Amino acid sequence: DSQELKQFIHKIGPLMIQELVRNSRSHAFEGYDVNWGEDTNTVTDIHTLCHAEFAESVIVTNLSWNSTGAVVAASYGRFDHEDWCMHKSGLCTWNLDRRNLDADKPDSVIDVSSCLMCIAYHPQKPAWIAGGTFNGEVIVWDTSQTEETLVASSGIGDDSHRDPVAKLTWIPDPESKGKKFHIVSVSSDGRILTWKVHASKQKLKLINGFVLLTDSLPRHLRVRSRGNQEMGVTCISFSKEDETKFMIGSDCGGIFQCSTSVRGNPANESNCSVELRSPVTMTFNPHSGPVYGIECSPFHHQMMLTSASDASVRLYSLLRAQPLITIDPGAGYVYAAKWSPVRPLLFAVVTEGGHLYFYDLQQMNAVPILKLEVAKRPIYSLQFNAKERSLLATGDGAGKIRVWRLNEELVKPGAKEMDSLTSLASSALQ
Amino acid sequence: MSEVEDTIKRLNLHKGVIGTIVVNTEGIPIRTTMDNSTTVQYCGSLHRLLMLARHTIRDIDPQNELTFLRVRSRKHEIMIAPDKEYFLVVIQTSSE
Repeated sequence: DSQELKQFIHKIGPLMIQELVRNSRSHAFEGYDVNWGEDTNTVTDIHTLCHAEFAESVIVTNLSWNSTGAVVAASYGRFDHEDWCMHKSGLCTWNLDRRNLDADKPDSVIDVSSCLMCIAYHPQKPAWIAGGTFNGEVIVWDTSQTEETLVASSGIGDDSHRDPVAKLTWIPDPESKGKKFHIVSVSSDGRILTWKVHASKQKLKLINGFVLLTDSLPRHLRVRSRGNQEMGVTCISFSKEDETKFMIGSDCGGIFQCSTSVRGNPANESNCSVELRSPVTMTFNPHSGPVYGIECSPFHHQMMLTSASDASVRLYSLLRAQPLITIDPGAGYVYAAKWSPVRPLLFAVVTEGGHLYFYDLQQMNAVPILKLEVAKRPIYSLQFNAKERSLLATGDGAGKIRVWRLNEELVKPGAKEMDSLTSLASSALQ
Repeated sequence: MSEVEDTIKRLNLHKGVIGTIVVNTEGIPIRTTMDNSTTVQYCGSLHRLLMLARHTIRDIDPQNELTFLRVRSRKHEIMIAPDKEYFLVVIQTSSE
């Protein structure tokens, strides 16, 4: 080694060590993060989609993103029927990746003979979408077909719902190892039905069914004179961990934990080809009005979010009947509450007052971290995009679908978010 | 073991340190604990950055002199101690 190098090291070495030690003790950069992106503080409205022909008389009842995250579908219908449904309604889809996207002209329109109440894209097939109608029919379409879009239908009969289908969801067929999916639909007739798709016969075959009965309610809510009646089911969410476990909300405000392996009390009378029994395993403290939204956390198997017409949003642990947190956004009915697919502590809600709120559970003061006035009309549906994670869609009472681009803060999970959620969940045990 | 090797070894034992390089004023690495290509890449870029920083300080105040340069990034913190003939670079992972 040259003398100069020795001298250099002799002088600089201790200085560097001193700096390293100082660095290890420093808290100067804790929680500091530079944001080099542009426009990162705002949530921007990138598309306003509408199908004028439907929007005249009906509203957006539900939204769904397809499996690639490029296509958004909207179901058009109404929730306020007093009589037969005579509305002109149906399904519209827009591919946002199309270069010549026309916001006023959907890529596909499927007319449905009665109001379309809910839709859900297949988890893997990008063009398959299931819908539930006002008449109680469950239908699967393939929007990539130009001539015959119908894949399968439940028809209307002894096995179908007798009331409007409130919500539907795809669940993996346990025998297919994740390749095939069944449809589960719920309705205000109290039935929770599982359907198998027989594409060759264009039929949905009923393979399993349950019914929600009034004896599942807490005692003080039961109506004494009427015996064990069916109760309308308004929403459903399956556990992300246990395939047999699911949560339902009802139109009387009740929230229930259920299991597909439980065979409770049977239905009073049914002509169904499968035996309908109560699936309820646990009853949570109810909302004081119809439950509109229920969703299990995608990050923690014990956490669940509900929203209802009593204007509140609640966070429940599956281990406790009382909610962990109750938030009142103060803008009327809360039509939907959804967990972010990327940030464990973030969820969004939409209200009757036309607002879109984002809540971060890290801030326990129940104040939204972001509040957007979307429409003058109620917003009925909300859907995060699980693939294109910065996108979110809302559907409102004017028949308009808005697509939003979320800012970094809403898309990028914080370092300790998962830990915070876990400790929130464990607070239920105390 | 010489004092030079010994000091470099001691620096490298510090928490989070992933590399130590001694570079001469031409930007050529004299000692390194990192692999060849990484060393060359760091040396070339940091040499230019160090010269720029040195000039910047002198331009602002001719009486002043750069004594230490730290560059913090998402992944690393790079610390550079300059001197007449050589400069010492230590690369440390950014603490959470």
